[in-house]
Amino acid sequence: MTIPKGWVSIEVKELEDLPCLRFAEKPDRRSSWRLLKEKVVDAGICSHCGTCTICPVDLIILEDRPLDFDPKKGCMGCGVCVAVCPRYNYVPLNGPGEYTEALAGRSKRFAGQDGAMVSEFMAAALEMRLIDVALFVARDEFFRPFVVHVRSADELLDRKVTGTKYSFASVMPELHRIIKRGDRIGFVGTPCMISGLRKVQNKIPLYKKNVPLAVALFCTENFYWHQLYEFLKERGADLREAEKTDITKGNFIVTFRDGSEFSIPVKEMEEIVPEGCHVCQDFSGVEADVSIGSVGSDPGFSTVLIRTPVAKKILDFMLKKDYIETGKAKMKIVQKLCDYKIKIHPYPPKGESEESS
Amino acid sequence: MVKVVKSPKDGLIRSAAGHLRAITEVAKVVVSPGTITVHYPRERRKYPENFRGMIMFDMDECISCFRCAHICPANAIQMYPDAEGRYFPGIDYAKCIFCHFCVDSCPTAALKQSKIHDVAYRDVDSMNVSPEQMNTIPEIVREDSVTVEYDFEKDIQLVRKKEFENLLVEVEKPERPEFKAVPQYGENCIGCRLCMFSCPVNAIKSKLEETKVILETDYERCTGCGICVRICPTEVLILTPIEREGDHQ
Repeated sequence: MTIPKGWVSIEVKELEDLPCLRFAEKPDRRSSWRLLKEKVVDAGICSHCGTCTICPVDLIILEDRPLDFDPKKGCMGCGVCVAVCPRYNYVPLNGPGEYTEALAGRSKRFAGQDGAMVSEFMAAALEMRLIDVALFVARDEFFRPFVVHVRSADELLDRKVTGTKYSFASVMPELHRIIKRGDRIGFVGTPCMISGLRKVQNKIPLYKKNVPLAVALFCTENFYWHQLYEFLKERGADLREAEKTDITKGNFIVTFRDGSEFSIPVKEMEEIVPEGCHVCQDFSGVEADVSIGSVGSDPGFSTVLIRTPVAKKILDFMLKKDYIETGKAKMKIVQKLCDYKIKIHPYPPKGESEESS
Repeated sequence: MVKVVKSPKDGLIRSAAGHLRAITEVAKVVVSPGTITVHYPRERRKYPENFRGMIMFDMDECISCFRCAHICPANAIQMYPDAEGRYFPGIDYAKCIFCHFCVDSCPTAALKQSKIHDVAYRDVDSMNVSPEQMNTIPEIVREDSVTVEYDFEKDIQLVRKKEFENLLVEVEKPERPEFKAVPQYGENCIGCRLCMFSCPVNAIKSKLEETKVILETDYERCTGCGICVRICPTEVLILTPIEREGDHQ
C-alpha cells in the first residue's frame, strides 16, 4: 500500500479579489466571509439557499432572517463559502431547461400538494435503494418549516411532511451535517438550492458520491416564515388553523381545517418577497435531476420534467409498479411561467442599471 | 378474613428439645466448619483482576485522543495541557462513577484499572486529580497488610488463604495495528486547515501556493489519535491501519 504524504485543497480563485488571508501563515480571523457579505448579502442578491453553511467553523447563521455572520467564531480564511455560493459571479439560469420527458402524474399512494409526485419520487427511490435517506421539510402547528429525515415510504403518509410550505427551511445545513455519515441522500429543494448543491458537487466529490438524487420544485418566490405569518395574520388569516397553502392562478390561497378558504393576489405580497428572489429567473430548476410542480397540468396532477437517466430509471420503476397514473403536461404554460419569471425578475435589477448608466 | 395464630405453649419438654437441637448443630460446625464470617475491614478479601477501582494513567502511552473525555458519562474527565501543548486526562473523583468506560475506550491502554477502592480525601478540591498524580498510587495505611481469600479444598472444605496483594494490575498492551491519519480523499479538501490547528502533536503542515493550500503529514509524528479525522468537514482524512514495518518512510 502506498500512502499519500500530502494533499492539495480545491482552488478558490475568487479569493484573489481580496488581500487574502489564506496566504498568511497564521490565519487572520477576519477574512473570506467579508467577500460573501460584500458581494452577495449586501448587494441584495442572496437567495438564502444556505449552501455557504458548509463553513467549517459554523460562522454563517442561517435562520428565518437574512443571512448573518458571527465573526467571533474565527474565520479560517478557506474561502469555501465563496467558492460554493451560487450567487457569487451570478449568471441567471432561465427557461424550462433540457429535459428528456415531460408528463403529468398523480400518486396513487400519497396525498400531497397536487399530485404528490415529490413524495412518490422519493418513496420509489427509497424502495429502489438508490438512496438511504431523503431530506424533507415538515411543518409544525404554526406552519413553521423544519427538516425531517425520511427513511421509509410509510413516513411520507403524514400530511405534515408532504405539501408546500412557501417558506425557507434550513435543508442545506442539515445536508452538510449528515454528509459524512455515508448515507446516500435524496435532496428536495427550490431551484436556488439545487444550483448551490451542484456547485458544491463540482468542487467537492464527496457530495457527488453521497447525493445521487436532487429534486427541484417549481418556484417563483419564497418567503421568510415570520413575515408570511405576520402578513397573513394582519389580513385575518391565521396559519395555525390552516391545513394547506397554495398558489394558483396568481392567488395565494390558504385552506383552513373547517373547509373555508382565504385568497389574496400574489402581487399584493410584493412587500414581503425577499430581495434575493427579485433577481432569480430559474423557475423550473434547470440543473436538477427532475423538476416537479403544479404548473402545466390539470388539478390533482403534478408536472414532471425528467432531466437525467437516474430520474428516468425511477420513473420506469414507478410505472412498472403502477404507483402513479399519468397524463399529458402542457409545456406551453410552463414556458409561459418561465418567461414571466424572467420578465418580473430582471438581472441586473432595473433600478441599479439605470443608476450606473 | 383474619387468621389468628396462637403462640405455642411453653413446655419443659419442648424447650429442652430445642436446646438439644441447637447444641448438636454447634457441635457439628465445630467438628467440620461449613460457613465462615469475614471481619471487614480488618480482614480484606482479594479482589479480582478486573475490579473497577481507581484509575491509573501512564503518560508515555497516551496519544491525547480525547476518547476518555468524550465517553465519560459523568463528565468527570478533563484534559489538561502540558508544557508542550499536548493534552492529558485528569479525573475528578467527586464525579467519577467508576464505570471504567474510559479504560475500555482507551486505544493504547494508557488508562488502567487498579484494585484500590477505599481512598479518603481531605476536601473536595483534592479529589480533582491531575494527570501527574494519576501515575502514582496513593499512600494507603491498612490495619492488615495481607488479603484473605477463601478456597475450596477437597471439594467441600473452605480454606482461608492469606497472601500479599499487588494493587496494580498488569495489563497486556492490546493488539492493535498502528493507525495514521491518511489523506485518502485529498480531492475533497477545502483548505480550511482545521486539521492542522487541531493536531495535538503538530504533525500537519500547510503551505500556500497561489490559490491552493498544500497540506502535508509528518507520519513520524502522527500518533493516530483521530482528532483531525473527526474535525475534517469533508472526509479527507481516514484513520488507516499501517503495518509495523511500514513502507511509509
